Formats: sequence, C-alpha cells, structure tokens
Amino acid sequence: MTLNSRDLAYASIDDVSKLIERRELSPVEVIDNTLARIDELEDTINAYIHVFADEARAQAQAAEAEIKSGAYRGPLHGIPVCVKDIYESGPTTCGSKSLLGYEAPEDCPSVANLKVAGAIVVGKTETYEFAYGFPTNASHFKPTHNPWNLDHECGGSSSGTGGAVAAGMAYAGMGSCTGGSIRWPAFCTGIVGLKGTYGRVSRRGVFPLSWTLDHTGPLARTVTDAAHMLRGCAGYDPQDPASANVPVPDFTSKIGRDIKGMKIGLIKELYEDNCDPKVKKPYDEALKVLEGLGAELVEVPGLTVRQMQAIEWPTLFSEAASIHIRNQRGPRVKEYNPHTWQFLQYGLLVSAGYYHNAQRARAQVRDSFLKSLNEKVDVLMTPTVGFPVPPILDESPGLSIVAGDFTVYTAIFNQSGLPAMQVPCGFDDDGLPVGLQIAGKPFDEETVCQVGYAYEQEAGWIHKHPDM
Amino acid sequence: MRMDSRAVVQAKLAEWNITPTEEDLAQLVPAYENLLVWQQVVEEMLESRPMSDGMEMPTTEPAAIHDLTRYR
Repeated sequence: MTLNSRDLAYASIDDVSKLIERRELSPVEVIDNTLARIDELEDTINAYIHVFADEARAQAQAAEAEIKSGAYRGPLHGIPVCVKDIYESGPTTCGSKSLLGYEAPEDCPSVANLKVAGAIVVGKTETYEFAYGFPTNASHFKPTHNPWNLDHECGGSSSGTGGAVAAGMAYAGMGSCTGGSIRWPAFCTGIVGLKGTYGRVSRRGVFPLSWTLDHTGPLARTVTDAAHMLRGCAGYDPQDPASANVPVPDFTSKIGRDIKGMKIGLIKELYEDNCDPKVKKPYDEALKVLEGLGAELVEVPGLTVRQMQAIEWPTLFSEAASIHIRNQRGPRVKEYNPHTWQFLQYGLLVSAGYYHNAQRARAQVRDSFLKSLNEKVDVLMTPTVGFPVPPILDESPGLSIVAGDFTVYTAIFNQSGLPAMQVPCGFDDDGLPVGLQIAGKPFDEETVCQVGYAYEQEAGWIHKHPDM
Repeated sequence: MRMDSRAVVQAKLAEWNITPTEEDLAQLVPAYENLLVWQQVVEEMLESRPMSDGMEMPTTEPAAIHDLTRYR
C-alpha cells in the first residue's frame, strides 16, 4: 500500500477495490484505517450511533482469506460501508430514544444484499428521528456536524451517512429517502446521492415514513461508487409490495460514454424564481459545463414549489401518522422528541379527500415527466436544493417547515418514483457544498449515472475533500 | 360556515382521542390553516373532462404504489 492514511480514507471504492482485487491492499488494512478515522473524528462529526469494530475486523479477515483463495466477489468486497440506523440490522434505534435497546432479528434485505456483495458494515449512522423529526442540540440523539463547516448540519434525514462518507469515515453508505433524504444530505456534504427507481431497492425492514414515497439507496463520494452500491443493494423482494421484479443491471454500463447531443430537460418552473443565488450561481455554471460537453439544454413543463409541497406534505405526514399512531398510544410515547409528536398530530388533520386528490395530482406530475422523457429529453435536471446548507439549530423548526417554501426540489422524484441523483457542483460563497439533481426514465439509472459521471469528471469537484 | 381553526384541530384530533397541548396548538393551528390553502392548490391541479351542466369526470386516478414497470 502506497497511499497515506488520509488518501486511503478518501480514495474511491472503484480505486480501492482494484487494489484489493489485485491483492495490493488488504481489506484488513482498509478496515483498520477506517476504524482509526472513526476514532479520530467521531467526537467532532457525530456520524455514528453504533460502530461494529470487532465484527468489521473479523469480516475483513474473512474477506482477505476469501480473496486470497481466488473468490473475489466484486467491487464491494472488503469495502467498509455504513448504514442509516433506520435499517434493521443489529441494534436499530431509528434515531429515537423510544427504540433504545432494540435489536433487529435479522438484516433487512438491502443490507443482506450488500453483505452478499462483500461489503462490510462498519456501523449504523445518525438519522432524524424516524427520518423526519429534525434533531437539534436538545434532542436525545444529537445532530451530525458537517465536515465542511462544523457549525452546520448535514441535511437529513440520512445525516450520519452523509457526514461519515464525506469525512472519509466510510466509503459509502445507505440512506432512505421520502422527500429527499438521500439527495439532500449528499448536497449538504458535497457527495453523490442516488435514489433508484421506486421499487428498485427493497424497503422491507427499513422503518417506513410514507409507504408510497419511501425509497432506499446509497450515498457515496463518486458517481461510479454510487452505481456500485446500488447494484449491491438492489434486487427483487417478493415480500416488499412495491418491489419491482426487474433485472439488476451493471449501473456503470454507460459510465464513460460522452453526452454529446443528449438533451437535458430543465424544470425551471420549480426553481427559477425561488432558488437562493448562492446555490443558483454554481448550478448555472454547471449547466455551462454540460453545454460544453455537447449536451443541449431544453426547458420542460413541471410544477411549482407550492404545488410540490401541496402534494408532498399531506401525503408524507398522513401516511406517517398512520404508521405511528399505535406506537403513540404505547408506553414509550414520551420518549419521542416533542416536535415529532406534533408532526404526527399534523398528519391526522389531513382529510381523506385531500389525500386522494394529492395522489391524483401526483400521478399527473409523473405522467408529465414521463411525457418529457419519452418525447423530448434524455434526463431532467434541477438544483438539488434551493437554499444553502443550514446551521445546526438549538430549537426545532417544528411545523414552520410545512408553512413556508421548503425548496427541497428532490421531492418531485419521490412523488413520481423516477430515479434521481445528486451530484456536487461546487461551493457557495461561504464554502459550503452545492449540488445538482439529475433524473431519468424508470429503471434507467444507467443514463442518470452517465450524465452524472460526465459532469463529475469534467468539473473535478470529486477531488476536493474536507480539510480533516 | 367554517368552524374556527382551533376548534377544528381539536375536534379532528379528538377523533383519535388526542388532546393537544397549548404548545401543540400553537404549531398545529397555523399549519392546519396552511393545509387548507394547499388543499385548494391541489384541487386546482386536477384534470377532468366536462360532461354537462358543470358536471365533470376525473381523467386521472390516485397514484398509490407505482407500477413503473409499465413505463420502461
């Protein structure tokens, strides 16, 4: 091994896996380096709820022996990854004091798939309580600090995975996403977040927030690594009613192809009038880079932020209320954060008529995007989020988040189920990360990765890491 | 005639045997009023075709669990 500790921590899965395959680097060295990194940074970042040091070392030794015997499994073999603590796998708190002490009876399918692919789960990461109760300094589980600026948060709800991956405390990790909880933390931490098509990755054993909006998927430091992770965790699960019985392809298959002549559909109606200039400026520069690569930018119909929220929040909150109401009558109700309890009450205020109208509007939005993708453009694009990375709060924003414009543009692809990826596109004037979002046709994550990779390589942001 | 928002919130939660605190109501009442605005936003989005005398038939159905394999 010729890489120093920091370089090894920030190396890509694609690079590390080639060294492992050639036996120039042992999974044991990789795990030891990652665990040392966690020891060094965890008090600063607060990314993990559980770290499985002994188990991870044992698995790395087993991987080393297996690879020596010639049984190399693929690019995730011997790679340390983290998993949001909302996935059932060992101790699982969902970021809530109410689940302290719970041990999952088995790995959920997506984590089991990653383990079969050879990945080593080094720990479980911080999450917003049940994926939506914003953590504050007053919460039982404290917020994860952003490696780019420790006074700022990592977004959410997959905040710990974002912080850990960005700080080199894991090579990639799993997040879950109902309105943007894979792509928003990836935006905040300057990494890649890939939400596959609805049904691509099993949701079973991942504590639900909203059945019709929930997705599971990876965060990683490069597009290629995210594609490797998606292949590792994806697959049909007959016990997940939303799981799609479709083949799992090599999501890297189009990576490296040029994008000359491709048409990129900009959903300007969603962001043009409300995106913070601090975010819009790097995004507009990214569009110029894409044009320089030969892509053609085309405006396509979309929806407004107001319409997006009018569909998203009642859907999410009413489904969440249905999910939590019986637990709320149980003995551990007082252990929920108070604002999470208010979110649940809010969900009970949504009428059935409104809920179903929101689902109709949602189908219309999906069909409008599909029409653009089938007739006009190859992919769709927006900034990932319309506001800069927020500071860590002492108090919860509470239900104020559902009253104003919450410009997390990611929600439109939870509503439509289309595959979508956040790719870093630079930094704002305060040195905090900014990103763009690319979405594609159902089950065509390969084209999304193709465009993301072309931009990533040309822009070069992947070579920049936090100063730690 | 619409009831006072605070009373509606309390009544709706009472259906679930929940009594919100004053602190809860301070958050829930304005959020509920905003919900009614959004309810109208969504209603205005809905597509339908006219039949007769102001009657119309919906041309879209709710998306629940997507069957996206249809659109590959």
